[in-house]
Amino acid sequence: MLDTVDIPRSRARRGLIDRFNLEIREHMPLEQQLLVVIGGVVVGLAISSLLLVAAGVSLPDVYDEFVVEIFTNPRNISSVLDYASPLVVVGLSAAMAFKARFWNIGIEGQLIFGGIGATVVANYDIGPPFLRLALMAVFAILFGMAWMALPLFLKLKLQINEIISTLLMNYIAFDFLLHLLYGPWKDPASGFPNSKLYDGFEQLPMLGWQDLNLAAVFALVLVAGFAWLLGVSRFGFLLRFVHSNPRMARAMGVRIGVFTLVAALASAGLAGFGGFVISAGIAGRLTQSFFVGYGFSGILIGFLARNNPVGVVLFSLLISILMVAGQSLQVFYQIPFAMVQLMQAIIVICVAASEFFIRHRLRFVA
Amino acid sequence: MNVTVGQMHEGSRTVPSGLREPPAVELRGIVKTFGGFVALDSVDFELRRGEIHALLGENGAGKSSLMNIVAGIYTPDRGEITVSGRPTVISGPADARRLRIGMVHQHYKLVKPFSGIENIVLANPGRSYRDSMSRILSLAEEAARKIGFDVDLTRPVETLSIPEQQRIEILKTLVAGASIIILDEPTAVLTDEEGSRLFAAMRRLAEEGNSVVLVTHKLHEALEHADRITVMRAGRVVRTVLPGEVTHTELTTMIVGSNVVELPERSSRIGRAVLKVRSASRRNHDGLDVLRDLSFDVRTGEIYGLAGIGGNGQGELVEALTGLVPLSSGNVYIEGGGDVTNQPPHRMRAVGVGCIPADRHSLAMAGDLPIGDNYSIGGVLAGRFGSAFKVNRRQIRSVTRAAVKRFEVMGVRSERQKAALLSGGNAQKLVIAREFSADLRIIIAHSPSRGLDVRAAAAVHEHLRHARDNGVGVILISEDLDEILLLADRIGVMNRGRIVAEFEAPGDRHAIGKAMIGHA
Repeated sequence: MLDTVDIPRSRARRGLIDRFNLEIREHMPLEQQLLVVIGGVVVGLAISSLLLVAAGVSLPDVYDEFVVEIFTNPRNISSVLDYASPLVVVGLSAAMAFKARFWNIGIEGQLIFGGIGATVVANYDIGPPFLRLALMAVFAILFGMAWMALPLFLKLKLQINEIISTLLMNYIAFDFLLHLLYGPWKDPASGFPNSKLYDGFEQLPMLGWQDLNLAAVFALVLVAGFAWLLGVSRFGFLLRFVHSNPRMARAMGVRIGVFTLVAALASAGLAGFGGFVISAGIAGRLTQSFFVGYGFSGILIGFLARNNPVGVVLFSLLISILMVAGQSLQVFYQIPFAMVQLMQAIIVICVAASEFFIRHRLRFVA
Repeated sequence: MNVTVGQMHEGSRTVPSGLREPPAVELRGIVKTFGGFVALDSVDFELRRGEIHALLGENGAGKSSLMNIVAGIYTPDRGEITVSGRPTVISGPADARRLRIGMVHQHYKLVKPFSGIENIVLANPGRSYRDSMSRILSLAEEAARKIGFDVDLTRPVETLSIPEQQRIEILKTLVAGASIIILDEPTAVLTDEEGSRLFAAMRRLAEEGNSVVLVTHKLHEALEHADRITVMRAGRVVRTVLPGEVTHTELTTMIVGSNVVELPERSSRIGRAVLKVRSASRRNHDGLDVLRDLSFDVRTGEIYGLAGIGGNGQGELVEALTGLVPLSSGNVYIEGGGDVTNQPPHRMRAVGVGCIPADRHSLAMAGDLPIGDNYSIGGVLAGRFGSAFKVNRRQIRSVTRAAVKRFEVMGVRSERQKAALLSGGNAQKLVIAREFSADLRIIIAHSPSRGLDVRAAAAVHEHLRHARDNGVGVILISEDLDEILLLADRIGVMNRGRIVAEFEAPGDRHAIGKAMIGHA
């Protein structure tokens, strides 16, 4: 009946690892949380560098590509900002939906429909030229929202899980895009599967420095608007309760359905606007290649930033830097693009893992 | 395997425990701080073999923190821990387990869809699932038989009652070989009868040479069932006493630092009916009639007490009155709101229905949001504290600060602190402060003093009386008949989804009790 009781070894004999003790942490100041997240990014970057070194890029070259080139070459700075602008928009789109506990995995599809909406206006010359760009934006937002209508209806009326419905809507949207580009909207001039080039006034104007266009300004305005909506307005105050404890919010009289509706539509509208920014800002037309991956990057950014607008900007920049540096790695060092995606994934995992240290405390037991 | 027999139980029954053998657990000078808050301030504690030791104190006195240190959940900043005479460091629950220490927490840690035995195996994994299942099933059944536990281990936990779930938790620690068993507020969710069955089991455990720590704030439990009582206050040990050498009053004084005696005080101004419930019925998803043709009135300036054993439709009635779940049939009328049957929660709030729910953590608080936000959400919804464009943070801060002071919510260092950091009693005070800050016609208080210490409960009662005296119709739902008798001006007894009897205060305790358990 009697087992021997295994009393923990006396202190002198405890190994180094045993001396670290894990506790649940009840609260961590915001500044410390930030440091932990930054720590996660740094670790992710360090592991990524090791991978690059293993792939034959010397450490000084990695430094050169990721730091020197990115931060000193104006062309690269502008590329990073150009690429980051739509990422910020889709990142905000994700954050908006997540804040209402609506898991919008359909940003990609809404983005495609945003692009389609903008191209409808451009292709069929709707409205006077001086209003054309604004109309394109409005159509993009409305088309994005329209693509959300079905999943939202299913969610609110029939409690059908939005993760599945919004995800599947992506594939429909993409196939519809291909149908348009290979069919009615095929470029008559070249015969390539993309829409005909937008007129000059249908493209986002340049800001006059490198290749930077108006998209960067839109992104900043949206970030400020988002920060106000969530941090200052009554809507944001109540939305935090919907996010934190929906049962309690409902019992207090918050109309969860209304908040879900507004947040999901706003998310889809932002995604649609993202489609407009990409088609009118980067390509100047509707193409198939531009819509691959933006939506999922948005989900990633929203998650990493924990729905914080400033975090969205920072992580958009980070991913954008990875992409731009990755492109030159591809060109100059023959590093496959998969490597860039791998690095992105490593950083995501490191940041996600850093959450552990926000929720737990490692204590050294002397 | 050692389920019930302590290491040295031969001596423990013949010789007064503690004389010949080292104590099961001895704590010396334990200090624990959270941020700047000192939860435990140089605490000494001794647990002997074969005793039931009650750890008594108010909410936030440090009882749970101290026991969490023994169970390896927290590590102390300073101090020494000796287990069975050997100095040790308990650096995690696994260490505690090896030392045969097991703790049953206030909130059960069970996987709901799994069966009882699967939960026990989960906590005590063996080499293979099938092997463990058969081995542990026989261990658990033996342990259950020895202490007189009656529970079906093969049923999913979610279909078990609260006392049955608690038994699973206790069996989990016993199967793990625990001979030091810590029960954190075990009777908070039990009826009197279930409680006495638990104490009988605790006694058997102790007689087998195990040590039991009973963390509680109920005086009579400690006085009736413990071998020794240690009283804590504000992070320190006041004294360790034998139950025979102190009176109820002396103990109260030790706990709160002053004496609290509540006396009944009837309403002087009962007015017209402000709430009328007529033939309320509800059938739940399983086709059970949880509310059956239930009718009652609540008048202004009265406390209407709803007595009854938990699970007789009280929760469903609250859900119907707050608009969370609709009735299948029947009507609810509120003065000034008319027929409000099946109106959504925001409508019910708008006509002046406030609620202090039984499950305050999931229904009344957003734990990871600041105290200030939690306090002011009702006001923000009603359009106060700034405009739709800008919530007035400064106003929220000052109003919250005032409410925290007026309702004596302790442990608030800043309005930005997360609400989850408040202890049970203080969280409850914050909820009450918020509900009473609205324009109320009706306030529903569902087990408002459950889990609260004497003084906090008295404060809650005072607030309910105050609301009543201001002309609010108060519905007090409680399983604690003492509380109902103390406060209610009129008493309805709920049994199987209907009101089976009504009494004018002061009600006859015996008659009410009979109505509670009779077959309606």
